[in-house]
Amino acid sequence: MSHHYVVTAQKPTAVVACLTGNFTSPTDLNLIIARNNQVEIDLVTPEGLRPLKEININGTVAVMRHFRPPDSNKDLLFILTRRYNVMILEARMVNDSITVITKANGNVSDSAGIPSEGGVIAAIDPKARVIGMVLYQGLFTIIPMDKEASELKATNLRMDELNVYDVEFLHGCLNPTIIVIHKDNDGRHVKSHEINLREKEFMKIAWKQDNVETEATMLIPVPSPIGGVIVIGRESIVYHDGSNYHAVAPLTFRQSTINCYARVDGKGLRYLLGNMDGQLYMLFLGTSETSKGVTVKDIKVEKLGEISIPECITYLDNGFLYIGARHGDSQLVRLSSESIEGSYVIPVENFTNLAPILDIAVVDLDRQGQGQIITCSGSFKDGSLRIIRIGIGIQEHACIDLPGIKGMWSLKVGIDESPYENTLVLAFVGLTRILTLSGEEVEETEIPGFASDLQTFLCANVEHDQLIQVTSDSVRLVKSATKALICEWRPEGDRSIGVVSCNSTQIVLASARDIFYIVIEDGRLVEKSRKTLAYEVACLDITPLDETQNKSDLIAVGLWTDISAVILSLPDLETIYTEKLSGEIIPRSILMTTFEGIHYLLCALGDGSMYYFIMDQTTGQLTDKKKVTLGTQPTTLRTFRSFATTNVFACSDRPTVIYSSNHKLVFSNVNLKEVNHMCSLNAQAYPDSLALATKNSVILGTIDEIQKLHIRTVPLGEGPRRIAYQEASQTFAVSTLRIDVHGRGGAKPLRNSASTQAQNITCSSNILPKPGGNNSTAANAEVGQEIDVHNLLVIDQNTFEVLHAHQFVAPETISSLMSAKLGDDPNTYYVVATSLVIPDEPEPKVGRIIIFHYHDSKLTQVAETKVDGTCYALVEFNGKVLAGIGSFVRLYEWTNEKELRMECNIQNMIAALYLKAKGDFILVGDLMRSITLLQHKQMEGIFVEIARDCEPKWMRAVEILDDDTFLGSETNGNLFVCQKDSAATTDEERQLLPELARFHLGDTVNVFRHGSLVMQNVGERTTPINGCVLYGTCNGAIGIVTQIPQDFYDFLHGLEERLKKIIKSVGKIEHTYYRNFQINTKVEPSEGFIDGDLIESFLDLSRDKMRDAVLGLELTLNGERKGADVEDVIKIVEDLTRMH
Amino acid sequence: MSVSDFIKGLPIHDSNNFTHLSNEHGIRTSQKRASVYLPTEDEASEQLIVMDKRCVLLRYLTQQWDKKTLQRKREHGNEGNANSSTPIGNGSNSKKRPRIDPNELN
Repeated sequence: MSHHYVVTAQKPTAVVACLTGNFTSPTDLNLIIARNNQVEIDLVTPEGLRPLKEININGTVAVMRHFRPPDSNKDLLFILTRRYNVMILEARMVNDSITVITKANGNVSDSAGIPSEGGVIAAIDPKARVIGMVLYQGLFTIIPMDKEASELKATNLRMDELNVYDVEFLHGCLNPTIIVIHKDNDGRHVKSHEINLREKEFMKIAWKQDNVETEATMLIPVPSPIGGVIVIGRESIVYHDGSNYHAVAPLTFRQSTINCYARVDGKGLRYLLGNMDGQLYMLFLGTSETSKGVTVKDIKVEKLGEISIPECITYLDNGFLYIGARHGDSQLVRLSSESIEGSYVIPVENFTNLAPILDIAVVDLDRQGQGQIITCSGSFKDGSLRIIRIGIGIQEHACIDLPGIKGMWSLKVGIDESPYENTLVLAFVGLTRILTLSGEEVEETEIPGFASDLQTFLCANVEHDQLIQVTSDSVRLVKSATKALICEWRPEGDRSIGVVSCNSTQIVLASARDIFYIVIEDGRLVEKSRKTLAYEVACLDITPLDETQNKSDLIAVGLWTDISAVILSLPDLETIYTEKLSGEIIPRSILMTTFEGIHYLLCALGDGSMYYFIMDQTTGQLTDKKKVTLGTQPTTLRTFRSFATTNVFACSDRPTVIYSSNHKLVFSNVNLKEVNHMCSLNAQAYPDSLALATKNSVILGTIDEIQKLHIRTVPLGEGPRRIAYQEASQTFAVSTLRIDVHGRGGAKPLRNSASTQAQNITCSSNILPKPGGNNSTAANAEVGQEIDVHNLLVIDQNTFEVLHAHQFVAPETISSLMSAKLGDDPNTYYVVATSLVIPDEPEPKVGRIIIFHYHDSKLTQVAETKVDGTCYALVEFNGKVLAGIGSFVRLYEWTNEKELRMECNIQNMIAALYLKAKGDFILVGDLMRSITLLQHKQMEGIFVEIARDCEPKWMRAVEILDDDTFLGSETNGNLFVCQKDSAATTDEERQLLPELARFHLGDTVNVFRHGSLVMQNVGERTTPINGCVLYGTCNGAIGIVTQIPQDFYDFLHGLEERLKKIIKSVGKIEHTYYRNFQINTKVEPSEGFIDGDLIESFLDLSRDKMRDAVLGLELTLNGERKGADVEDVIKIVEDLTRMH
Repeated sequence: MSVSDFIKGLPIHDSNNFTHLSNEHGIRTSQKRASVYLPTEDEASEQLIVMDKRCVLLRYLTQQWDKKTLQRKREHGNEGNANSSTPIGNGSNSKKRPRIDPNELN
């Protein structure tokens, strides 16, 4: 058996539908956003959009509409899923918490229906008498609404129109009347049908208009009293109401197709239109009053400006719109009556969207075992790279340019009663500067009692309203109120102080091997004891372990030479415990701290690694030694309090926050490049903040409560397709698609984008001859025709600047890309596969594999070879190039003459789209024949087919989990795992890859990559997970698939079954039904996969429900089987959540 | 009519909405998501949507049948089918139409 855990790290971000209405109360204005299997309810407030709740639907949202029942003052939500589940939902606000009621639910699928080619469409009668849907060819499905009935009888009506593009209900009709755009051999037509709800059939055709524009796609019903419908075409707009007819063909429309609209005012005079180029238009119906009522007299269309490529638009309030997008970020924009640079659209807020994720690279740039993901996200003008890493975020509130900071402390000076600090002391080489914080302003000041011509080693507020400043010369005690020096302590002779630590009553300091213990009294510094240690002191700490105490009984010391951590007792400075740290690197920072009641000693070394121990408060004994690598530079440890818990900040080239969760230390990256020093700061204008010193500045900011994914966007302005990372050149190669438009002087880019603004631009000179001879596609193109221009971009790994753009000449397109080290050649190359895509050909017949070398800021073509088909996939295979070309899998060898020579070849596929390799084994994902395992026999120089999955599947991505286990994603949003059975008795059985695990993910996975989002081998894990595969989907989700052992699977499965019962499904779609593996009519239950999203929702349950969920659940702890309690399960689930 | 006139007088639901939203710091980027709704109380759906599983053709025929029977009560014995190409074999009340419609042959 094969057992897996699948969990979402980043929820889907592509917006499918959005709408505005009154849902949570008759007066609340809500924005509802649908994304894949989630519906978000937002409230419109003076501060902007406030997310209220996210609702999981056990299905993929295909259509979301809203309606208002005749006797209601609130709107209801109608949702239709891909599996034809329908639901009507109502949101109720009870004591500030939302309840979502499923008013009606059911399934309207028809086992014999042929799915309609134009996709599913649903519309609701304006008087809410009936819901109409186009699901299958030749059928129109209606759900008549009857408030009284306990059952709503949905019925299929036979419809003559087979190819339907859009359906809407007309306003102001006696009987519910639909209007459709349909196509037949003569063109596209608009036709209305009146529905007889009692007889459940179409009654008559009120009116129709044959031969509207050949590319008419969208209908906008106009509300009463105007009535009628607006038909949106590729180039024209037509208003029609059966008798009255108006048309316009705005010139600006030519560029792209209108794909969504929003009605602005209730009367239906103004509409917003968005097109697939990201342009926003406003349509205005001019009306006149006649004896027959209000009639349309003209149509005006004006361009307002640019937005993200929209999927849906909705008008919110006061001129604000929400733009839902699936190719770029969704937006909140404002319409301004004044134009700014020709645009009336002012973007206000962007909502991050990663969709569609076409490729990802997982790289560990910091070599910490923590991957960051670089995605190829978005398309066309909204294309971008997204850099995603997990960590704790610092929200920057202020930044001061100050280079060269060597130390930093926050103080209360002269305001001892106030809870806030007002001063920052900054140490530089040979001087100290003091900053006062007054409000948000920062200005330089002086404290007369402080030595400002020396570098400060330590500064603090101490007992009796006094301040301490320690420099290399002395310890200075200063009265806070007068800022005057009242006492000074110096070591004898000309010895200088090396390291120091203090709390509010005690100071410990060291000069070479001598250590001094000083007690702070009112106006006095009293030396209590001194001692000479065996070696020089490298670092020390006197932080009280008990937070309620102001004095410590222990000192922790890190020593040079023997590299040890020593615990001394106070006041006599007796060594009570010595712990030798292995290695040669000296300790640089030592800290005693308490997390969740457990005392720890942390000791950071000069190479960025850190030891940590559990420490006994009385004996000083150190146990449970563990080591972790935090950075590569000397690390300084500082404590700070945030959200009422103690945390430690490790300042280094990889700043890390150390905290405890479930009695385990968690190490979390901070989203800053480098922090040299830090101190906590609680000033009036910056409450509960941190001050962080980087190389050139001080940042004042607050810290996130929990770690999460941080997403950085690198806009490209063109669509990225494939990405490859090359360590040797410290670059990424990205293939992109730019759309140029043919003008009179040839093709020109529409706008500036990454490939047009690169530091170096080259163009592919070698144009492959088109099969058949006439090489004239580009030259003969019509003016205005769009041309796909593919580019290879070389991008710096740190700055993400485009260093080089190599442009291919249309119709040559990049189909695949990798970085590889080939043969004995010391260079690392970018291998790029291209093909000539010619519209008339069913499949490209000619392509190239090109070897590029990026070196010294130059991209040079080293070799190329012609191939007879599209090379869909490239993999480095034991120093050779493995390629999936059309129906072949081929291996190319890199010769000493720097040429690619074909070594072997196998033709056993329809189209070998995806390749992965491990050792000698090759996993092939086929266009439609699922997965095949090949082996390369090196001696014979041949490929042998080892086994294949015989069930047909249209593949989208494949991955090798281990030598025998293979993961696949297919086009219906299912995941499956096949396993090779080497122990099978017959040859026939061995040639099969039986499907052992299957799961419906509900989203299409485009790419799998091995890698981890969190640091590996850090801290302890109780969850036995094995390997980690990241995936990226069409809807912009990122997730993790990992293997788990049988007993853990059984435990989680038990929990899953219990959670399915406890968590009720909105829309009443059973979880089991949702996760069923379904390909067309074949349905099989999900098995071998644990739904991590469901498991993690355990943590959000109330305590009572948690108890219900673990009732009777058994688990094995330390080899012992016992009944699970809530605490055990919380721990396990929290551990699982730490994977992302 | 200029674009500015178009945009004038946009609908207002609550004039306070979005007034505190400042974009002096440029465009904000938001990743925030609402908390997840986790219902644990079972509430029965008020209405069940059930699909009429009868085949469209069958329903059409039964409807026709109902109409016809009404008609037949008036014109008893008269076959209402105007299809002259139907071979009248045993003279029974066969409702079967010929399987192949001349149009379908194309």
